Amino acid sequence: MKAKLNKAREKSASPAERSHSGTHSANGAGTKFKSGEPIRFNSHGIPDYRLEVPDFHTVEEWVDGEFRYKVEGDLSVEPPPLRDSKYLNKEQTIDIYRYMLLNRKMEQTLENLFKQQKVVGGVYLGLGQEGCSCASAYGLREGDWIGPMIRNQGALLVRGFKPRDVMMQYMAKSGAPTGGRDAGSHFGDKHKHHIAAPISMLGDLIPVLAGVALGARMQGKNIACLTWVGDGGQSTGPTYEGFNFAAVQKLGVILIVENNLWAYSTPVDRQVACRDLADRAIGYGVPGFIVDGTDPNQVYDVTYEAAQRAYAGEGATLIEAKMMRMRGHAMHDAAAYVPKDYFEYWKKRDPIVRMEKYLLEKRWLSEKENTALIAAVQKQIDEDRDFADASPYPEGSTAGERVFCDNAVEIGFGYGKPKFKKSDKQRAAKSTGAVHLS
Amino acid sequence: MHTYLEAIREGIWEEMERDPAVFCIGEDIGVYGGAFKVTEGFIHHFGSDRVIDTPIAEAAIVSAAFGASLTGMRPVAEFQFMDFISCAHNQIVNMVAKSNYRWNAPAPLVLRGPSGGGVSGGPFHSQNPETTYAHTPGLKVICPATAHDAKGLIKSAIRDNNPCLFFEHKFLYRRIKEELPAGDYTVEIGKARTHREGRDVSVITYAAMVYVAQEAAEILAKEGIELEIVDLRTIAPLDREEIANTAKKTNRVIILHEDHKTGGIAGEIAAIINELAFDDLDAPIVRIAALDTPVPFSPPLEKFFLPKVEDVVREARRLRSY
Ligand SMILES: Cc1ncc(C[n+]2csc(CCOP(=O)(O)OP(=O)(O)O)c2C)c(N)n1
Ligand SMILES: [Mg+2]
Repeated sequence: MKAKLNKAREKSASPAERSHSGTHSANGAGTKFKSGEPIRFNSHGIPDYRLEVPDFHTVEEWVDGEFRYKVEGDLSVEPPPLRDSKYLNKEQTIDIYRYMLLNRKMEQTLENLFKQQKVVGGVYLGLGQEGCSCASAYGLREGDWIGPMIRNQGALLVRGFKPRDVMMQYMAKSGAPTGGRDAGSHFGDKHKHHIAAPISMLGDLIPVLAGVALGARMQGKNIACLTWVGDGGQSTGPTYEGFNFAAVQKLGVILIVENNLWAYSTPVDRQVACRDLADRAIGYGVPGFIVDGTDPNQVYDVTYEAAQRAYAGEGATLIEAKMMRMRGHAMHDAAAYVPKDYFEYWKKRDPIVRMEKYLLEKRWLSEKENTALIAAVQKQIDEDRDFADASPYPEGSTAGERVFCDNAVEIGFGYGKPKFKKSDKQRAAKSTGAVHLS
Repeated sequence: MHTYLEAIREGIWEEMERDPAVFCIGEDIGVYGGAFKVTEGFIHHFGSDRVIDTPIAEAAIVSAAFGASLTGMRPVAEFQFMDFISCAHNQIVNMVAKSNYRWNAPAPLVLRGPSGGGVSGGPFHSQNPETTYAHTPGLKVICPATAHDAKGLIKSAIRDNNPCLFFEHKFLYRRIKEELPAGDYTVEIGKARTHREGRDVSVITYAAMVYVAQEAAEILAKEGIELEIVDLRTIAPLDREEIANTAKKTNRVIILHEDHKTGGIAGEIAAIINELAFDDLDAPIVRIAALDTPVPFSPPLEKFFLPKVEDVVREARRLRSY
């Protein structure tokens, strides 16, 4: 027996192609790509930057009395090359590639440290998602903020943290950014890197990043605030509350919905009834876009354009990046529930492999340079691992410190003293009005 | 003369005049001036950039306030009723309260709004959810009883580098009035106040219950029983020293609050007395609190639900002759 999880996702006679109003005029890209080819829109008018639009979904079946998932659709297609970026030059592209390598090798090292029992707790990997994480963070400029989630450890590196910082976080060491007070990617930095530390509860960073943008705007600066949420995490209430707030206040929040098809063990088909999560942009009243999350060039371009809109005070952007979580939810999870076909299909779309091929074919990188680059990244990772390993644990008795911030601490403005307009009429606080309850 | 509500308004207004980091954010606080009119007129003076009407989204309000505080702003966020704080519970206890501890990011913000019963507000417009937050490390929880303290404490809360939850009591908004000192003044967070000196029995309380204790004290004084009333003013941090002092002075203690009895702050205060002044006690500690039920709507039901003057009188007499 088998059943579609979601009837609404069945291909139906789609409405005439029309663009979601406000989207394609606002996307800064015109209606054609640099290459001259027209932009594709989905049936709700959301621009879709992908070079391939696969059509598959996860269905349930019972085999010999066992419940399992299987894929329905054609997964035999070979991947296209990367799309050329409209903005990235050779150096920048290589830089992104280097961050992706750093991201992957850092996580491979974390996996080894985990197996050596040097990690406290679990390890979360962004395997297959490095392109999205690194290229999107790369699309920002200094002074912008990010709010990373677990699959965005690469973004932390792009924003200036070192692999050793992430490693020490996982190893609960005193030298870690939180000094052992919180785990893994749960750290941030207000002053230098401009990163809001995530909490575990999914979706909660979205309104926080809206607030950061609000604070910056009050201080006279329109900044871009980039945060990510999973296909699972976007189901939470704070996602809606936060992004709607950003939309209505025209705050420069860039929300990348990382649709990696799974939320822990739950397929996206059980998470939402819509085909493209970017469709939600219509309801929020902001521009929405679809990109191939395994193509760093697409991710960079769409984030970069969203950032330009943020700087211009044009508000928020919703981006759906489609890709696949290539491991279990965390190290403990073998992902046995994921149909094998998915792994095979997406393995061919490994962002690092694609990027490497792109750089070599374009002759932006020779084989020799590539080998040297990979070796240099590995060397940095090995040094950082040794550094992290040697870092001591925190002193237990410091656990009681810094629950509160001392009032003697001067909390400065991130972007300068706000200059508000004020009514010229002299007034004092007073009222007489009726009340709701008294 | 200032009402309790006017005192709060003036406190926020003066802080906004004093410090460009301060702004207000909440539901219907702009042209309408807030459901209770605490921010009435603010938008005309300070503009909509600083008096921000939001969608009905408590989680977003708290988180956005927090985000703005990360850039050095000092938001004052209003809950239309403190009952709705539960909609932002996660943001408060996980995002805001833990940020300084986890990543050295102080959250200088104020979350304020009307709490408390006695106005037939029913189960969702009458609650006293303060103790939940007193239980969360990283938060300061303020519950003023007088206009003087309301103004002084809202100013301290705005200037504080930590997240402060400011539970106004809606029953007191327009019922109490007093002359306030001219000019700028603050009241220190974490310090209790002796509302009435007395030698016989201590009543440790806060917010609207201060006045219930006071009425009881007037009745008891005629019988020669002198109540000492300690107004906590803040329940996080608790003024442990003042709690111990009054217990040591009268040797008999009643803890009175409008929150439910089970898990209310009275249990914590009793434990503090146990730790600091056990040998000084001449009688068991008594808790007087609201019933362990939702706050009922109909006046006779709510009257039965809330602690009463008679309860304090009865228990004080019992303790006096214990
Ligand atoms: C509000 C909330 N509920 C439950 C969890 C537990 N949890 C952590 S990650 C996760 C799955 C997340 O899936 P998704 O958002 O798609 O992100 P992905 O792991 O695929 O990157 C769950 C259920 C949580 N962190 N937060
Ligand atoms: Mg997912």
